[in-house]
Amino acid sequence: MEEMLREYLPILVFLAVAVGLGIVLILAAVVLAVRNPDPEKVSAYECGFNAFDDARMKFDVRFYLVSILFIIFDLEIAFLFPWAVGFKDISMTGFWSMMVFLGVLTIGFAYEWKKGALEWE
Amino acid sequence: METILLFAPLVGAILCGFGYKYIGEKAAMWTATGMLFLSAFLSWISFVTFDGVTQHIEVLRWIESGSLSTSWGIRLDRLTTIMLIVITTVSSLVHLYSFGYMDKDPQWKEGESYKPRFFAYLSFFTFAMLMLVTSDNLVQMFFGWEGVGVASYLLIGFYYRKPTANAAAIKAFVVNRVGDFGFALGIFGLFFLTDSINFNDVFAAAPKLAETQLTFLWTEWNAANLLAFLLFVGAMGKSAQLFLHTWLPDAMEGPTPVSALIHAATMVTAGVFLVCRMSPLMEFAPEAMAFVTVVGASTAFFAATVGLVQTDIKRVIAYSTCSQLGYMFVAAGVGMYSAAMFHLLTHAFFKALLFLGAGSVINAMHHEQEMTEYGGLRKKIPFTYWSMMIGTLAITGVGIPLTHIGFAGFLSKDAIIESAYAGGSGYGFWLLVVAAAMTSFYSWRLMFLTFFGKARGDKHTHDHAHESPITMLIPLGVLSVGAVLAGMLWYGSFFGHADQVGKFYGIPVAEASAHGETSDHGEDAGHGEPAADDGHGEATAEGEHHYVFAGKPGEGGLYFGKDNTVLDDAHAAPVWVKVSPFIAMLGGLLMAIWFYIINPSLPGRLATAQKPLYLFFKNKWYFDELYNVIFVKPALAIGRFLWKRGDGGTIDGFLNGVAMGVVPFFTRLAGRAQTGFIFTYAFWMVLGIAALVTWMSIGGGAH
Amino acid sequence: MIQADLNVILPELILAVYAMIALLLAVYSTKDKMGPLLVWSTAGLMALLALWIAGSGSGNNVAFGGMFVDDGFSRFAKVTILLSAAAVLVMGQDYMARRGMLQFEYPLLVSLSVVGMMMMVSAGDLMSLYMGLELQSLALYVVASMRRDSVKSTEAGLKYFVLGALSSGLLLYGASLVYGFAGTTKFEGIIQVAQHGEVSVGLLFGIVFLISGMAFKVSAVPFHMWTPDVYEGAPTPVTAFFATAPKMAAMGLFARVMHDAFGNAVSDWSQIIALLSVASMFLGAVAAIGQTNIKRLMAYSSIAHMGFALMGLAAGTVFGVQAMLIYMAIYVTMNVGTFAFILMMEKDGKPVTDIASLNLYSRREPGKALAMLVLLFSLSGVPPMLGFFGKFYVLRAAYDAGLAWLAIAGVVASVIGAFYYLRIVYYMYFGEEGDELDRNSSPVLWGFLMASAAVMVLGIINMFGVEGAAAAAAATLVN
Repeated sequence: MEEMLREYLPILVFLAVAVGLGIVLILAAVVLAVRNPDPEKVSAYECGFNAFDDARMKFDVRFYLVSILFIIFDLEIAFLFPWAVGFKDISMTGFWSMMVFLGVLTIGFAYEWKKGALEWE
Repeated sequence: METILLFAPLVGAILCGFGYKYIGEKAAMWTATGMLFLSAFLSWISFVTFDGVTQHIEVLRWIESGSLSTSWGIRLDRLTTIMLIVITTVSSLVHLYSFGYMDKDPQWKEGESYKPRFFAYLSFFTFAMLMLVTSDNLVQMFFGWEGVGVASYLLIGFYYRKPTANAAAIKAFVVNRVGDFGFALGIFGLFFLTDSINFNDVFAAAPKLAETQLTFLWTEWNAANLLAFLLFVGAMGKSAQLFLHTWLPDAMEGPTPVSALIHAATMVTAGVFLVCRMSPLMEFAPEAMAFVTVVGASTAFFAATVGLVQTDIKRVIAYSTCSQLGYMFVAAGVGMYSAAMFHLLTHAFFKALLFLGAGSVINAMHHEQEMTEYGGLRKKIPFTYWSMMIGTLAITGVGIPLTHIGFAGFLSKDAIIESAYAGGSGYGFWLLVVAAAMTSFYSWRLMFLTFFGKARGDKHTHDHAHESPITMLIPLGVLSVGAVLAGMLWYGSFFGHADQVGKFYGIPVAEASAHGETSDHGEDAGHGEPAADDGHGEATAEGEHHYVFAGKPGEGGLYFGKDNTVLDDAHAAPVWVKVSPFIAMLGGLLMAIWFYIINPSLPGRLATAQKPLYLFFKNKWYFDELYNVIFVKPALAIGRFLWKRGDGGTIDGFLNGVAMGVVPFFTRLAGRAQTGFIFTYAFWMVLGIAALVTWMSIGGGAH
Repeated sequence: MIQADLNVILPELILAVYAMIALLLAVYSTKDKMGPLLVWSTAGLMALLALWIAGSGSGNNVAFGGMFVDDGFSRFAKVTILLSAAAVLVMGQDYMARRGMLQFEYPLLVSLSVVGMMMMVSAGDLMSLYMGLELQSLALYVVASMRRDSVKSTEAGLKYFVLGALSSGLLLYGASLVYGFAGTTKFEGIIQVAQHGEVSVGLLFGIVFLISGMAFKVSAVPFHMWTPDVYEGAPTPVTAFFATAPKMAAMGLFARVMHDAFGNAVSDWSQIIALLSVASMFLGAVAAIGQTNIKRLMAYSSIAHMGFALMGLAAGTVFGVQAMLIYMAIYVTMNVGTFAFILMMEKDGKPVTDIASLNLYSRREPGKALAMLVLLFSLSGVPPMLGFFGKFYVLRAAYDAGLAWLAIAGVVASVIGAFYYLRIVYYMYFGEEGDELDRNSSPVLWGFLMASAAVMVLGIINMFGVEGAAAAAAATLVN
C-alpha cells in the first residue's frame, strides 16, 4: 500500500505547486495593484463608441443541436472501435448485432435528415 | 288463557297505533278497547276460578347465558290474579271513558289524529303493567317496570305542545329512574348471592340470605336487609313515596284518563305489588320493613297536609293517591301484606272513580281545573255528583264501626290502621290516624267546593255545564258499584281469619293449639309442596281454632314469617283502636262542613293568619325547590361545563386545532419547499441521499 | 441459442420494430394525417401484445445469458403497462388533436417508452436495468415538453431531464459500487454475495444509491420534487401517461432489483424503503391540501400512493410484493379514470385545471360527477370502493411483516389526505355557483371514466382475478 502511494507523491507535489503558484499570482494582484476605478475606465470597450445593447445573445439552440448530433454519432463510432478490434473472434451473431445497432442509428439519421435538423438556418 | 290475557292489550296497541291509517280512527279505538275488555273478562274468570295453586306458564325461552337461564313465563298466583283484575278492569273502563273525554280535545288542531295514539299508549301501558305483575323472574319484572315508566312518560307528555307537559314527563321519568337504580342494584345483589333471578329460587334462598353478609359501598350489611331496602327504593320511586314523590303531582299534566289509570290505580301501585311479591324476602329483613313503615307513614302524613290547601282538583286527588299509597306501605311494612293488597284493590276502585269523576267535572266545566272556579255544580251534573259522593264516602271510610259493613275504604283503611297498631309501630299508627282525619277533610272540601255553594267561576261556563256522554258515565257507574261493594265482598279473603286468608292466597296454614304451639293438622306444611287447599283441619271442634301461616317462602301468593302474628293481633286490637279511624273521619267531615258550608270565609282568614304554614303546605313543603338547588342546578352546571369546556373546548378544540392549525401549517411548509428552482430540487435529492447513507452506515445492517 | 433469446424478447422486439418502421413511414409521408392513425394502431398493437403476453406466457424464461428475465412477475407488470399505455393513448388523442399537438412522434415515443418499461421489469442485470430505465426516461423527457409553444411544458421537460439525469447518475454510481463489491452485474450473482449479515459497507452504499435512483422514478420523498412541476406543465394526456405506466414500471423494477438482487438481505434495505414510504405518504397527504390545480393535486396524490405501494415493498415478504402489485393495478385503473375526467374539463374549448371550476358540477353532469365521486372515494381509500382494498392489502402486508408503525402511519396519512379528494367531491355537489365548464361529450373519455368507476365498484366482488395473478406473480419473484 505504501509503495503504491509513494508513486503518486510527485503528483501531490505538482498539485501543491500549481495551487500555490495560482494563489500567489492572484493574491499579488489583489495586494499590490493600484486601484482607482473610474466609470470610463470600467465600462466595456466597444470600438470607440458606447455600448448600447447587452453583449449577451440568446443562446441559439442550433449549436446545441449540432453538439448533440455529434455526440450521438461520436458514441456510435466509439462503439464501433472495440467491435472492430475484436471482429475476428465474434461470430456472425456479433456481426449482425452491430448491423442492427447501426441500422437503428441509421433510422434515426434518416428521421432527423427528413425533419430538417441538419439545416443550419 | 293467561297468555291471551297478557298479549291482547299488546295486539290492541299495535293494531290501534299503527293500523289506524288503514282501518280508520273509530275502528282502531274500538279494537284497542275491545281487546282490553277481553282481557278484563278473562282476568275475572281467572280470578274467580283460581284454586290457590301457583302456576308457572312458560311463554318462551329467554336468557341462556352462563349460569343464568331464564324463560319468559307467567307466574300465576293469587297476588297476580288480584292485580290482573285491578289492572284490566280499570284499564278497560278508562279506555271506554276516553271515547268521550278525548273527543274534541282543544289541544289539537282540526284534522289532527291524536286519539289512536292515545289508545295505543294506554293499551301498551296495560300490557307493560300486566307483564310486570305476571312476571316469573326479576328481570322480566324490571322489563315491565321500565315499560310502564315509558308509557307513563308518553302519556304524561301526550300534550306535547305544552312545555309544562314535556317537563313533567321528563321529571317523572328521571325521578323514577332514581328508584329504578335502587331496584336494579337489588336485582344485581340477588343474582350475585343466589345465582338466579327466578322468583322460586330467590324465595327459597331468602332464609339463607338473612344469615349472609354482603359488602356494599363502605361496609358490610345483612344481605336480606340491604336487598330488601334496595328493592324498596325502586318501589319508592314508582309509588311516589316521600323523597321520590315530586313527580306525581306534575304528572297531572297528562289527560285525566291517564291520571286515573296510571297514577291512581295501576302504575303507582306497582311499588306496593313489588313489596308484597317480595314478601318472602321482606319477612327476613326486619330493619328494611321498619324503614318501609316509617316512609309509608311519613308519606301518608305529608301528602295529606299538602292536599289540604291545593286548589287544582286533580292535584288534590293526586296527593290523596300519594297519601293512600303511604297507607299501603305502612301495612306492608308491619307485615300485613294482605291488608296492603286489600287497600290496593279498593283504592283502585274509588280512586279511579274519583279521577274519572273529576274528569267529568272538568269536561263539564270546559276544561277548567281550578276548584276556585267551581261551585254549586250538583244540580248541573247530578250523575257525576253522586258518583263522586260514593267515591268520597269510600275514601274517607264511612261505615259502621266494629262491623264489616261499610264502603270499600272503610274496611280496607281500618284494616291497615289496626294492623299498624298491632304491628307495634306507634309512629305509623298515630300518623295514619291523623292522615285519616286530613283525608276526610280534604275529600269533603273537594266535594263542597265543587258541588255546593254559589257558582264562583265564569258565568258562561257555568251556564253551559252539562252532563258527560254515556261513554263516560258507564265507567263511573261500574266503579261506583265496586267502591261500594268491594270492601264487604272480600273482607274475609283479605283480612279475615288466617285460614280464610290462607285459602285465598294459597298459603298453607297450620293450626295453633291452645298453648300457642303450632301442631300440624292434616297436611304437613313442612313438605314444601305447592299449597293445596288447606284448612281442612277445622273439622268438628267447638272452640275457636287458631290458625297460623305455615308456608315456606315462595309458597302461595304471600309469605308470612313465623313470627308474623299481625293478622291475629290486629283482630285482637282494643276497641278504641278499631274505632279511631271512624272518629278521625267524622272529625274531618265536621271540620269540612264548618269550613266550607257554614262559614266559607273561615279558610281564607285562617290562611292569612297562618301564612307561613299555609305557604309551606301549598308549596309542597318546598321539596321541589330543595331538589332544584341540590340536584338539578348542579347537574345542569356539570352538563354545561362538560359541554362547553369538555366537548367544545377539548375535543372539538383538539380536532379543529389539528385540522385547521397543525396540518395547514405543514401544508404551507411543503408549499414553500416546492420553490420551482431546479437546484433546490437537486439539493433536496442530495440531502436525501446523504441522510440515507448516514443512517445506513450508522444504524444499518452493515458490519 | 440466439433464436431462443429472440423468442423470449419477442413482444419488445415487435413493439420496437413497429416503432421504427412507423417512424420512417410517417416521416416520409404527409405528417398530419399519420398522427391519429398511428395513435390507434399503436394502441391496438399494445393491447394485442398485452393479450398475447397474458395468455401465452408461462414459466421462467431467461434470455441473453440472464440479462432478460421473463417470469410471472414481469408478465403481470407488462400487461398492466401495455394496457394502461394503450388506454392513455386513446384517451388523449382527441385532446392532443384539437390543440395541434398530435404529431406522429407522440405515439411512437410512447411506444418506445413502453419498450423501455418492458425492459425494466424484465431486467436481470444491472446493465439491462439501466438500459431500460434510460430508454423509458428519455422518451418521457421529450414527451413532457410536447407542447412546444408553452413555457410550462418546456420547463416541465427540462426539469424532468435535468433531475432525471442526476438520478441516473446516482443510480449508476450505486450500480458501480454494487458491481465493485459483488464482482458481477448479474442479479443472480449479486444475490449470492449480498447475504444477510455479510453485506459490506460499500455494498450497502451501493444499495442506497440504487434505491435513490429508482425512488426518483417512483417519485418517492425526498426525490419527488420534480413531480408537481412536471405533471402541471406537461400536456394532460402526457400527465395521464406519467401517472400510470411509468409508475408501474418503476415499482416493478424496484421490486425486481430488491428481491432478485438483494433478496437475501431484506432486513438491510427494508428500513430505507419504509422511511421513504412514510415520508411519501405524509408529504403527499399534507402538501396536496393547498393545491388548487388539479394536475398538481394528482401529482401529490401519486406521491402519496407510491408511498403506500412502497409500504408493500418495505414488508419484504411475498405477500408484500403481492400487495404492491395489487395496489399498483388498482392505482393505475383509478388514475386512468380520473385523468379521463380531467381531460374532459374545459371551458370555451380551453382546458381548465382549476378545482374551483368544478363547483356544482353535479348539476350539469350528474353521471360524470357520480363516477368522479366513486373514483375520488376510491383514491382516498373509502370502502367499499376498490381503492380501499388496495390500501388494505398493503397495510396487512406491512403489519404481518412486523412494521405495525408503518401501517399506523399509513392510516394517519390516509386520513389527512382524504381531505383534498373529498374537497373536490364537495365542490362538485355543494359548491357555490360559478363559471361552468363546457359539456364535453367525447364518447371515448366518457367510456373510460365510466369503466374505471364501474371497476372500482364492481371490483370488490372478486377483483377480476387480479388477486390470484398477483399472488402467482409475487411467488415467482420472491423465493
